[in-house]
Amino acid sequence: MTDVLNSEWLKLRSVRSTTYILVAIAACLLGGALVSFLMTADWDTSPPDVQQQFGSADPSMMVVPFTQFCLGVLGALAITSEYGSGMIRTALVSVPQRKAYLLAKTVVVAGASLLIGLATVLLAYQTGELITGDRPEPISAYDSFTDALPTLLANTASLVLLALLGLGLGFLLRSTAGALVSLCALLFVLPTLALVLPSPWNERVYSVMLPVLAPQLAAESPGAPLSPAAAGLAMLAYLALALGAGSIALLRRDA
Amino acid sequence: MIEVRQLTKRYRATRAVDGLSFEVKPGYVAGFLGPNGAGKSTTMRAILGLDRPTSGEALVDGRRYAGIRRPMHHVGALLDAGAAHGGRSAYDHLRVLARSNGIKDTRVVATLEQVGLAGVAKRRVGSLSLGMKQRLGVAAALLGDPGVLLFDEPVNGLDPEGIRWIRHLMRDLAREGRTVLVSSHLMSEMALTADRVIVIGRGRLILEASMQELQEKFKRDVLVRTPTPAALVTALTAAGARTQAEDGALLVQGMDAAAIADLAARSGIPIHELTPRSASLEDAYLELTEDSVEYRTKETAR
Repeated sequence: MTDVLNSEWLKLRSVRSTTYILVAIAACLLGGALVSFLMTADWDTSPPDVQQQFGSADPSMMVVPFTQFCLGVLGALAITSEYGSGMIRTALVSVPQRKAYLLAKTVVVAGASLLIGLATVLLAYQTGELITGDRPEPISAYDSFTDALPTLLANTASLVLLALLGLGLGFLLRSTAGALVSLCALLFVLPTLALVLPSPWNERVYSVMLPVLAPQLAAESPGAPLSPAAAGLAMLAYLALALGAGSIALLRRDA
Repeated sequence: MIEVRQLTKRYRATRAVDGLSFEVKPGYVAGFLGPNGAGKSTTMRAILGLDRPTSGEALVDGRRYAGIRRPMHHVGALLDAGAAHGGRSAYDHLRVLARSNGIKDTRVVATLEQVGLAGVAKRRVGSLSLGMKQRLGVAAALLGDPGVLLFDEPVNGLDPEGIRWIRHLMRDLAREGRTVLVSSHLMSEMALTADRVIVIGRGRLILEASMQELQEKFKRDVLVRTPTPAALVTALTAAGARTQAEDGALLVQGMDAAAIADLAARSGIPIHELTPRSASLEDAYLELTEDSVEYRTKETAR
């Protein structure tokens, strides 16, 4: 198993797509910082009554959704690039134990996305704090690190979830385009569609959409439809569905 | 040692492989021949555990491939040359495979040198020519120094020098006592490399024989010229031979030249020419596979 983990880790490090994804996330961090900086500058020159209506200048508002998608792509590419290039046959000839293969890929993608996700979330938080300085809420997102911690952890969890979701979809669909379209649908299209459902279904369905699970897991707003535990369960359900379907496809179908 | 027993692989309505059985033992190059779509690649994929057989089994050294730990030390396989991530360097591609089987990086370097790719090791796989990719695939197969080797159409895309290299390589591997199975749709190629052939058509075994046996089997064809062909055909057919007219001459199968001459003499038929002809292996192969197509057509028409 260590051999297979080693091999999968090297696989992830030795392709350019991983570098591109890291560069894209870094660029998004810079963009988020710029937006926060401009917002803060605007806040500084606004009269007090307008200042109260500002949202928080938190780079993660932009960085987290974008990184969710980026890590989804990372997870999907980890396997669809093998199906696309034919590498999967070479790979399964060198590791014919498909369960071990699936497990190693899952562990490596989870580990990599945890590292990247945690770093991104912390960087976004730290940048936001540096920019807003000792300004009060709402322009500063958090009072203290302790105040921010649940959100930071929930966001990191959502980033790992998205990477594994991408991986599961990749194993299931075996096509980069198919996996990315599905990711876009789950992240961007379905939440919008959920909102046009008749009440009360719009709110119920919307509450289990991917983009709103992390805030509910962190219990950011008191009136949220899902408790942190329920949001966590919903995240686990996504994970189980995607990886379950993906592993059935890998174990049952011919390569 | 490779054993394929009653292997059947069905994709929806079509039977890609149909009750195929054969064995490949160590020490010789076994050519696996058949026209495109005959089921060669499917059989190899079943041996390597990539495709699950509908029924029957394929064993390597008496074991199912999927049950072998670190299989690269036992079996090396070259499937299609493109079976590598185009964005990885040739060196990294081999390192990825080596690590999964606990093979050291020094072995990767040595193998790259062995296949003549040391100079392009840092280049991305996608930028390599088809011939170089074939060599990379061969390198992957050789990494674990395996006792059983499977090559699927290894000469595709190779230049003449590369073709000669791979021929020598396969013969050397067999001489070292390894089991070597090489698929091809070209008899001319196998005639130069293989010691034994396994010919399949439409997923079924047509023939398993040594090269000599194959040549023996297909040499019975005698060209006969006579001014009275009709009389000779009658006499030959009565004696159990098959005849076929070809621009003024007769082609006789199932009887050798001496027997034909004796028969003609007894029947008082003059003979102007009598030439035993041996079919080339290429002809033999085409005839073999043509038969399988005819057989198939009759079967579906029924």
